[in-house]
Amino acid sequence: MISRSSLAFRLIAAASVVSVVLLIAAGILLSTLFTAAVERSLDARLQAVMDGLLASVELEKEVPKINNVLADTRFEIPLAGWYWQISSLDGDPTRQVASASLLDERLPLTQFKQPGRRPGNRMSGYLKDQSGNTLRVIEQRFTLFGSKEQYSFLVAGNFDELQTEVSAFNNALIAVLGLLGVGLVAAILLQVRYGLRPLSDLQGELSEIREGEQEGIAGSYPDEIQTVTDELNLLLKSNTEVIERARTQVGNLAHALKTPLSVLTNEAGIHGGTLGTKVSEQAGVMRDQVSMYLDRARRAARAKTIGSSTDASDVVKSIVRTLERIHVDRKISVKSSYDTDIRFRGERQDLEEMVGNLLDNAFKWTNGRVAVGVRPSTSPIDKRIAWIDVCVEDNGPGLPDGGAAIAMERGKRLDETKPGSGLGLSIVSETAAMYGGKLFLDRSDLGGLRAVLTLPAARRGDG
Amino acid sequence: MRLLVVEDDPDLNRQLVTALGDAGYAVDTATDGEEGHFLGDTEPYDAVILDIGLPVMDGVSVLENWRRDGRKMPVLILTARDRWSDKVAGFDAGADDYVAKPFHMEEVLARVRALLRRASGNASSEMTCGELALDTSSARVTVNGGAIKLTSLEFRLLSYMMHHKGKVISRTELVEHLYDQDFDRDSNTIEVFVGRLRKKLGIDVLKTVRGLGYCLSEPDDQS
Repeated sequence: MISRSSLAFRLIAAASVVSVVLLIAAGILLSTLFTAAVERSLDARLQAVMDGLLASVELEKEVPKINNVLADTRFEIPLAGWYWQISSLDGDPTRQVASASLLDERLPLTQFKQPGRRPGNRMSGYLKDQSGNTLRVIEQRFTLFGSKEQYSFLVAGNFDELQTEVSAFNNALIAVLGLLGVGLVAAILLQVRYGLRPLSDLQGELSEIREGEQEGIAGSYPDEIQTVTDELNLLLKSNTEVIERARTQVGNLAHALKTPLSVLTNEAGIHGGTLGTKVSEQAGVMRDQVSMYLDRARRAARAKTIGSSTDASDVVKSIVRTLERIHVDRKISVKSSYDTDIRFRGERQDLEEMVGNLLDNAFKWTNGRVAVGVRPSTSPIDKRIAWIDVCVEDNGPGLPDGGAAIAMERGKRLDETKPGSGLGLSIVSETAAMYGGKLFLDRSDLGGLRAVLTLPAARRGDG
Repeated sequence: MRLLVVEDDPDLNRQLVTALGDAGYAVDTATDGEEGHFLGDTEPYDAVILDIGLPVMDGVSVLENWRRDGRKMPVLILTARDRWSDKVAGFDAGADDYVAKPFHMEEVLARVRALLRRASGNASSEMTCGELALDTSSARVTVNGGAIKLTSLEFRLLSYMMHHKGKVISRTELVEHLYDQDFDRDSNTIEVFVGRLRKKLGIDVLKTVRGLGYCLSEPDDQS
């Protein structure tokens, strides 16, 4: 529904009020004009009757007489509302003649008696007859041949008969205008909806940007909004740039600190003593801080990376190749199976860190055999979309029972004898969770650990 | 064993040179990528320690150029950026191992030893030749279990011969691998060192191959 505070409501309300007022005014005007037209045509008919009367009237000792009966039979139906009457101005009942329809009734002349009225001037008006009919009356005065006196000629028509015509017209008018009103309101609604649709499109795009599904406003908009979206895009871009710059500088700072930290650590190691020990200890704290903030900066950078896709097999292959070189003298046999065209819906760097950590662990702990596989997931987390599995196995000691949960905890290490910060598996499972994926740990058929990383797949050609 | 250190930070460079020198290696040094590339291209090093973030020419390009020109010496890369993509890029360019900054010097020394050992095809840190044994990790030389005390240059010479056991090594090659580039080279001093070394070892493993150079081999091999 349209909320009262909306732009749409304002537009619709304003337009509706104006339309309704205009329609009512138009209705009144049309109805008045029609009534006037009906009156004029009735008056013309009554005038014809009067002309007929004038042609056939005669005075007989000052008493008017009609020679020929009028052709119009309506003037003979009693009290039907069609009358004529010729009378002397003094109201003498003996010097009057009227249509048969009037029976003994006579129509009053009071409203036509106006001082200073010029003879021959026609007047018109409304009267009520005995049976309640509304009459349209025209009256004119003539001096008849053979007399010096003026006589009033009065012809009345049944206005009620025409009234039905007027009401029929009015009803039709109301119906038509009502329909027009409804049509107009519908048109306004449509116009407002259509006119304001770019705004709701814009809102949709903005929320996608907020959720990281889109980097800027892409659609083309009407000129008035386009200027706003252009400005918004520039704002977003400069915002991204500021964040990117800050992030790069954090990264650069952290990386730049690593060399002096190496120098400090080594110098302290050479000199020994209390100062040396203290410096070593503090340099260690600094090193941990640096890696923590680097990790955090990387995490923050991931927020906007939805929408890209990465060839999973390619990443796994390159890391296996690297680790084989690092561990070249350990003669580790790697059994690998890569399904072709398996794409991960996400950033390459994230996949590299996850797979790198898993493979690094496998190579570190294995007793000579590592198996790695990339394939479509056999146990998808959510069946509506496709998933991929990256499976890494080794024949090392594996995890003790119940160790899986501890291993994935941040900073926990189950074995302190091999080097590593202990962030490996927790980073993997946290990164996987960011993509809605999951890391499963159990025992491999090879005897060691099996790590299965389930991640959302990208359709072919995405990204 | 002669090494090249390419590191632009003067302090870290000095520490590496000192530590590697103390460990018995002849060390050359460069502080930017171009100089490092030139040295690695023209001098026969046994291993290179190469920083990735270098001025003028970055470490990965230096390494790629060496490999493209057929330089096969083992290269240990030092990197502050320890993302997997950085490691992959380093290894794809031809690195043999990496150490992430900040590091402890012992780690670099251990990796260098491992690289040299790997390059000579030895599986363990202890190399033997008959009764003679040399442990690269502890820099100990024994004959029949008895420790032999050697000077740094004598150790370097023996270590190089041990790493190339059974091969004939010319005097020029020895000079190239025992001294750093600033040393005033005189191949005649090699003869003096070989003589002293033979005396200290007391067993006949280091033989002269007339006109060619020297060869380290077990006494039984001699016909």
